[in-house]
Amino acid sequence: MEEDRVLSSVHSTVFKESESLEGKCDKIEGYDFNQGVNYPKLLRSMLTTGFQASNLGEAIDVVNQMLEWRLSDETIAPEDCSEEEKDPAYRESVKCKIFLGFTSNLVSSGVRETIRYLVQHHMVDVIVTTTGGVEEDLIKCLAPTFKGDFSLPGAYLRSKGLNRIGNLLVPNDNYCKFEDWIIPIFDQMLKEQKEESVLWTPSKLLARLGKEINNESSYLYWAYKMNIPVFCPGLTDGSLGDMLYFHSFRTSGLVIDVVQDIRAMNGEAVHATPRKTGMIILGGGLPKHHICNANMMRNGADYAVFINTGQEFDGSDSGARPDEAVSWGKIRGSAKTVKVYCDATIAFPLLVAETFASKREQNCEHKT
Amino acid sequence: MSDEEHHFESSDAGASKTYPQQAGNIRKGGYIVIKGRPCKVVEVSTSKTGKHGHAKCHFVAIDIFTSKKLEDIVPSSHNCDVPHVNRVDYQLIDISEDGFVSLLTDNGSTKDDLKLPTDEVLLTQLKSGFEEGKDIVVSVMSAMGEEQMCALKEVSPK
Repeated sequence: MEEDRVLSSVHSTVFKESESLEGKCDKIEGYDFNQGVNYPKLLRSMLTTGFQASNLGEAIDVVNQMLEWRLSDETIAPEDCSEEEKDPAYRESVKCKIFLGFTSNLVSSGVRETIRYLVQHHMVDVIVTTTGGVEEDLIKCLAPTFKGDFSLPGAYLRSKGLNRIGNLLVPNDNYCKFEDWIIPIFDQMLKEQKEESVLWTPSKLLARLGKEINNESSYLYWAYKMNIPVFCPGLTDGSLGDMLYFHSFRTSGLVIDVVQDIRAMNGEAVHATPRKTGMIILGGGLPKHHICNANMMRNGADYAVFINTGQEFDGSDSGARPDEAVSWGKIRGSAKTVKVYCDATIAFPLLVAETFASKREQNCEHKT
Repeated sequence: MSDEEHHFESSDAGASKTYPQQAGNIRKGGYIVIKGRPCKVVEVSTSKTGKHGHAKCHFVAIDIFTSKKLEDIVPSSHNCDVPHVNRVDYQLIDISEDGFVSLLTDNGSTKDDLKLPTDEVLLTQLKSGFEEGKDIVVSVMSAMGEEQMCALKEVSPK
């Protein structure tokens, strides 16, 4: 009898009865290739595959929510609503404002083409990037970037005039072509500053460069055409900055005002209301913080998708999860957020396939 | 002291004041025009072709007349202007009240359009030497239409 009791007590310690998750949580189930190689189904199966596949699935969900939200989804607060804002047709037309941020390495990569697609079809409203994120796009219109290898030795590459970005290679000559292209444009801009009192800002400069490059493969060109502002507060930190430096020796006096641009950037967030705002941020660093900070000005974004490989253990902003941004008021407590721990060259094209691109395909089908 | 690499010309109105030279060939101690000023190069550094574009020469130079430090960065394959710099010696005849000096030229005529030097040391030396009745030979440096006394020697009468 004693033995039985001991046995049953040991039994109940080892075999703890579990709470049933049935109906509360999704079951894990991956894609069955017996269905054939069906890419849309494969991508949709990620949500229930687990780990970062599930995070990507959730990110796809959040982005689709960004795209589907309309002001008419919200109940009208009669006190602080203008007559126009009560009109149902108007409310149907008000969509979420999307901020897209990315680091320069992604523009060196083929993700540039995905970004160009989004800008070309006006699927995002504001872009924030680093200087490299701008010049790499322009340079690709003048000369290509090539596939190399992470293991190519630095000294050897230097002797051959090749610059390595991860496993990509950019010949020095590409930057020489960029210099030859951009210096006359700076001369012209300086002339306009002196004669027409134009006060240049980073975003105005970038719009001008988009106009000058006049090449449909460039996202900057489409940003100019679609009137989508591209903010780059760290404009001097790249080859473009080198060009400004050299230009100032030859013909000095070009002024680029960052104060006007911070007014414009924060204004994009502050004056977004009654629209909701969503952030899609690839990578960390300046673009991540700049977009989050602007959204802090309107008490936080409503949607946030981070795709990066940063880790939070070092306290860096780059590695911080969306929840840290909630503590700052950069993201609302009620917001829908996801962080996908993945290199954006894999995650982002797949995300766009299941969100922006598929919605556009659907809309095009409806029209035909 | 003669200047290297220059072909010597007399300062007539028709002569060009500068000549072009590739930036990569201009060395420390040479001359260069920066922002329209004739300067003597005190430092040159070259950055190789890279992310900043073409290879570039960074010049630090001193304006030969005002002694101000000037800087320039030029692609090494571009041409820069190099000033013709001349030095001619003249014997001092007189110092006038309105700040000019009267000098004896080679062919016996006088040159009266040169101002007193702005450099304090040189000015003091000139005035005291002249008042003491010493024979003074002044060196006049000229470049790009500007000239200035840059040195003087006391010649003891034999």
